Amino acid sequence: MPNTPVLPAEITIYTIGTLHQEWLKWLAKVPAPRRSAAGQDKPWLLDASAVDEVDAAGVQLLLSLSHSLAKKRRTLRLIHPSHSISSACSALGVGTLLMTDDAAGSAS
Amino acid sequence: MNDNRHDNSFVAEALPTFISEAIEHIEMLEQLLLQLETQPDNSELIDALFRCAHTIKGSAGIFGLDKIVSFTHHVETLLDQLRESRKAMTPELSTLLLQSNDQIRLLIGVAQGTETEDEDALLGREVLVQRLCMAYGGEEPKQSAPHVTNTLRRWQISVRFGVDTYRNGMDPLAILNYVRGMGSISGMSLDAATVPALDAINPEECHLGFDFNLDTEASGENIGSAFSFVRDDCVLRIEEAKPQPENLGSIISSMPNGLRLGEILVGVGAITPSELHSGLRLQAEAANGAGASQPLGEILLEKTKLSPEVLAAALQKQQKQRDGGSKPAGDEGRFIRVQADRLDHVINLLGELVITSAGASMLARQNRDSNLIEANQQITRLVEEIRNGTLQLRMVPIGETFARFRRVVRDTAAELGKDIALEIIGGETELDKSVVERIADPLMHLVRNALDHGLEKAEQRLAAGKAAQGLLKLEACHESGSILIRIRDDGSGINREKVLARAWERGLVEPGVTPSDAEILKLIFKPGFSTAEKITNLSGRGVGMDVVQRNVEALRGSIDIFSTQGKGSSIEIRLPLTLAIIDGFLVSVGASKFIFPLDGVVEVIESHPTEMAQDSRGRCIVELRNQVLPVVSLRSLYALDSAVPARSSVVVIQAGDRRYGVLVDQLHGQHQTVIKPLGKLLRSLRGVSGSSILGSGEVALIFDVHSLSELAEQPASPLLPGSAAGSLPASHLQM
Repeated sequence: MPNTPVLPAEITIYTIGTLHQEWLKWLAKVPAPRRSAAGQDKPWLLDASAVDEVDAAGVQLLLSLSHSLAKKRRTLRLIHPSHSISSACSALGVGTLLMTDDAAGSAS
Repeated sequence: MNDNRHDNSFVAEALPTFISEAIEHIEMLEQLLLQLETQPDNSELIDALFRCAHTIKGSAGIFGLDKIVSFTHHVETLLDQLRESRKAMTPELSTLLLQSNDQIRLLIGVAQGTETEDEDALLGREVLVQRLCMAYGGEEPKQSAPHVTNTLRRWQISVRFGVDTYRNGMDPLAILNYVRGMGSISGMSLDAATVPALDAINPEECHLGFDFNLDTEASGENIGSAFSFVRDDCVLRIEEAKPQPENLGSIISSMPNGLRLGEILVGVGAITPSELHSGLRLQAEAANGAGASQPLGEILLEKTKLSPEVLAAALQKQQKQRDGGSKPAGDEGRFIRVQADRLDHVINLLGELVITSAGASMLARQNRDSNLIEANQQITRLVEEIRNGTLQLRMVPIGETFARFRRVVRDTAAELGKDIALEIIGGETELDKSVVERIADPLMHLVRNALDHGLEKAEQRLAAGKAAQGLLKLEACHESGSILIRIRDDGSGINREKVLARAWERGLVEPGVTPSDAEILKLIFKPGFSTAEKITNLSGRGVGMDVVQRNVEALRGSIDIFSTQGKGSSIEIRLPLTLAIIDGFLVSVGASKFIFPLDGVVEVIESHPTEMAQDSRGRCIVELRNQVLPVVSLRSLYALDSAVPARSSVVVIQAGDRRYGVLVDQLHGQHQTVIKPLGKLLRSLRGVSGSSILGSGEVALIFDVHSLSELAEQPASPLLPGSAAGSLPASHLQM
């Protein structure tokens, strides 16, 4: 899926300041779903395959992004998660953000 | 914490409350520690200790009292280990904790401004901190508690990280991974609701909170140590989970509000997140298919191992949230703190009300208006109830004062090398707070006296054929309108010969004259009897017993001493229950009115004074139900100048274990009596403890039944210059 935004290699306390600003811009571009649109429940996908380093602050920011997307009736899903992000999400009890590869395949 | 960050006016207003509460907690700590010495395995006591220390630390933190916080933290850590059974209570630890408690008390005093801290105190605190650290930190937990079985236990951990966690260089992920290394984590749930949306979040602030289960062999303390770097600004709860669903119920009820059912159930580990997801999916599918949605709880009951009890607890929790957070019936409502002077003001007003209402009743009777009389009776009854209720507010059990002596006995006995047990009886007996406060010092003196002079060392006791351990008893009970406090020891008793020798030497008794045994004992209360130089601190040793007696008498009380040589001594202090208002029994002799405390009045019998053979001081004897009753005539005793009526009454009074009668002219019945102090002129008057103003404006004198009986007992020699007990111009005291 060529249009899927790709998460950077580092999502940690050192980068989240910049990421926060970038993601706010992304978010502004996310269209509000039309009422009857089929895309309403379609997950908003982010490619997490490149993430190499992530900490709790980074996961928190992802969670914050997912809250904002939820307000637009979008569900954030991370596809092709790297080992570091999937272990971080599981360790912090937010495994639901992740989407396994097969599920991601059917969704996209 | 910096004081400037606080609103100064808030601190100024709330600090006295904090101090008074902290002092209460310190007292309680001390009592608990002392109780723990006798029952070292009582885990409830240790829990209560921990809570006390924790409360002091917590509230001190609010006021920015850093010294108290940091010192109490060490105490708390040690108590925590005791609580976790990582350490057993030993006498050494108990002493250390008692000393630490003294230190906290000192620090509170410093905060209050009543104590100052010098370098010695500072040094003392540092030494204590070192000893505390050694007590809780010096050993590996496994060595110190080999009895703890290394079985897998499930802990429920709830942690809410502080906003500054990232800024302090901490990563919750690293901490949780460390915790994961201790065992296996299940039911990890992130409190996602606390994380703001992207447009509202400051990404450098931490908003994460987690609930999870940890199955591990490690102790709660070890788990806690994983959070030690963030402990100061995070909310952490580590509880051992028990498999019973009712236990989950209590955890559920303590969870934060605003959670959804699934979140609650995942949070306590009753279901896994994936079970929740599949349950939610099923619910959504069912809703789409049939149009009616099945409750999530029912689905989860069917599809998972969720027990109905846990579900009920979770639903109940939600119901409570919906009910609008009505406050749970907790401990908070049981006590109200009231400033003592406000209460005093109410009691003073009440006194005026009692007098005024008595005046109104009297007017009604004089006017013979039956409706008015009835209305006034109603008012009088209500006033009486209010009076009792209000005075009750000031009543406190004396046990708190008694309990203070545990420490005195423990420390003084150790200092003197004696083995002494303290027994407290009747600690629940209540009396007026102001009386309690003012009796504490005299009691302290008597207790120290008993420890120092009364009770012997173990070897002396054994030689005398007594048990090695000395016994000191503090007793309190109610006795005819007063409270009786008895300090009894089984020591050597008072050596009468020594007392008499000293009295002769000091000129308190004419040399060569030997008074009765009881009289000799009373000599120790004489000013100038004590051998020691004057020491101003009453609680110090060597101060004369005359000071004790003066203090007791200032409270309208009396003090008696009994002693058997070789067997021990007993000192009895009788105090009025209250200093404000009593139920009185109003009588008159000629134009003079007198009041007996109603509790001391047993009965009233009729008599014909002309038929009674009285001695020169108006004393005679009547036969009452085959018993001899000594009777004293007030007219003769106080030389009241009025005609003897043909008929009169004898009021039978109970004073301690003695009964006697008082011959009076007229009875006026029960009377609510507001006690007013006697003026300087009348203060030396024997047998009288106070005065009262009647509804008519007349003054009545209130008898102290105890000293009246002593007065009546005395031989027929003039007590005061002049005649009898001094002439009594009561009828001229009108105000």
